Amino acid sequence: MRKFAMGIASAAMIAGSLSGAVNANAASTTTPIGPGHSPVISALDCQGSTGDRGCGAGFFWRDGWHGWGCYAC
Amino acid sequence: MNFRHIGGVTAAALMTAGMALGTGVAAADPGDYTVLLIDPNVVTDSLAYTAAPPVLNPDGQPGAMTVYTHRDGRTITDTVWVLADPGAAAGAISAAQAATPVANSKTVSVPVGQNGQLVTGKTPDGTKSLSVLYFTEGNAASAMEFTGPVADPLPVNLATDFGQQQDALIKSRLGM
Repeated sequence: MRKFAMGIASAAMIAGSLSGAVNANAASTTTPIGPGHSPVISALDCQGSTGDRGCGAGFFWRDGWHGWGCYAC
Repeated sequence: MNFRHIGGVTAAALMTAGMALGTGVAAADPGDYTVLLIDPNVVTDSLAYTAAPPVLNPDGQPGAMTVYTHRDGRTITDTVWVLADPGAAAGAISAAQAATPVANSKTVSVPVGQNGQLVTGKTPDGTKSLSVLYFTEGNAASAMEFTGPVADPLPVNLATDFGQQQDALIKSRLGM
């Protein structure tokens, strides 16, 4: 019984940490601030992330005329 | 500029360029015009293109031609003619333009060689983008055809890069 309870506790801890990570990611892109809660919006690349392979916002990693590289969206 | 290169391919590309130049010098003789063809891997600092065996004196005209194929299927067909005089070079360009129809074409001048012109549009069947860069340099003439996805035509700045490096190679090899 004690082992069973420990297992449930461990699973709950893992689930909690994962859901926290998702929330942290969401908060990093759109953050409500100030009295009116105006959102601060970070620029995103064309896939909705902060950029694959360091391309950064507005660029997309793909194979093109220059070979593999960061191309504008 | 709408492209940023990331990655560690610079050394590999330089090595390839060095090997290509070395081969060219070793194989060079007055009639070996294959050394006039610019390698797209050097221009783009990549290893994306594979060259078909070059054709010497295509269609019986003194010069060389080859097709470079990108790993995703897009192609670059590079042709250089070395003719008797600048008038013959201009004639070769006119003949090449007549032989290469471009649908929905638009022509712009580009700062490449003499009378550099870039024709952009689609292949006649409309399934691919097609850009053709023409220019002359003295008695030499060059035509570079670029085919790719309709949604991803060759950027004008890259066409200009290709042309300027092709022009520099022609001048260097022909002692202009």
